Amino acid sequence: MENKIRKIKGGYTLVEMLFYIALFSVLALAIITSLISMTKAFRVTTAQADLVQSSAVMERISREIRQAYEIISISANDLKLNAKDESDNNKTVEFLLFGSNLQLIENNVFTGDLNSSNIQITALSFTEITTPAGKAVKASLSVKSVRDATGRIENFYNTVVLRGDY
Amino acid sequence: MKTVGSLEKLRGFMMVEILIVISIIVVSVLAALAVAQKSIYLSRQSLHQSQAAFLLEEGAEAVRIARDNAWVNVSSLNLSTDYYLSFSGGTWTLSTSPSGIDIFTRKIIFSSAYRDANEDLISSGALDSQTRLATIDVSWLEGGQTFSKTIQFYLADIFS
Repeated sequence: MENKIRKIKGGYTLVEMLFYIALFSVLALAIITSLISMTKAFRVTTAQADLVQSSAVMERISREIRQAYEIISISANDLKLNAKDESDNNKTVEFLLFGSNLQLIENNVFTGDLNSSNIQITALSFTEITTPAGKAVKASLSVKSVRDATGRIENFYNTVVLRGDY
Repeated sequence: MKTVGSLEKLRGFMMVEILIVISIIVVSVLAALAVAQKSIYLSRQSLHQSQAAFLLEEGAEAVRIARDNAWVNVSSLNLSTDYYLSFSGGTWTLSTSPSGIDIFTRKIIFSSAYRDANEDLISSGALDSQTRLATIDVSWLEGGQTFSKTIQFYLADIFS
């Protein structure tokens, strides 16, 4: 009779309960750690995307140097060039490191920051190279993302010959 | 007795159902995790690809600068030998001592250039001692795998 009641109520034995609790807690643990590392992964990917995007800054610097025909002034954090615009008029282009932003100054008027607000320029360096045939500028750029908790700094290097006087 | 049997069955059935549901959830979360890890790997790789592209561009310009300084800077180099760039004395110079830039290694190899009867560059023909074929290779190690990017271009003695 007692046995019959236990069967009808459908109770679990202690061993059964222990087994299921252990199984579910292992699975729950796996899911929670996965979710945590996924959140971390997405944060890393975002920061990484910022860094990839900052290669556009180096691309812009390279392009302006390539099109220029004369260096007006050059220092580690400031480069001013003489170039021609689309309608062949003279123009000046200046790259200036201001705090952690890289300013683009065209015809002595501030055009805007080349880096997006999520990117900080931690170091910038311009070096002039003179050859018998012309001039070139060696540029190096260090960037980091404000969304990167580890604060990793990535470097871009380039050297560009001024094609305007080649 | 019939009710007892069906309740027993029901209990077992619910347990199996729950197990299946949980294992589906676990598998899908693990799959999403694998995707997230792959995305980190790929985004890291894309950054390195763009950094390597700039290093290649710099390598090509640096070799041209060495040529502009004096053709002998290029013509005196051994063919099929690894050269590395170094910046010293305000200009780029080539040397055989290995050097790296962050995680990257940049090698330059020179080989002979040949021309046909029309003075066009071809892969075999009359040797042109005033021209070299430069091959620049930027390689880096990532996740135990070596990646590399290469460009090739001709360099001629146009300034002397």
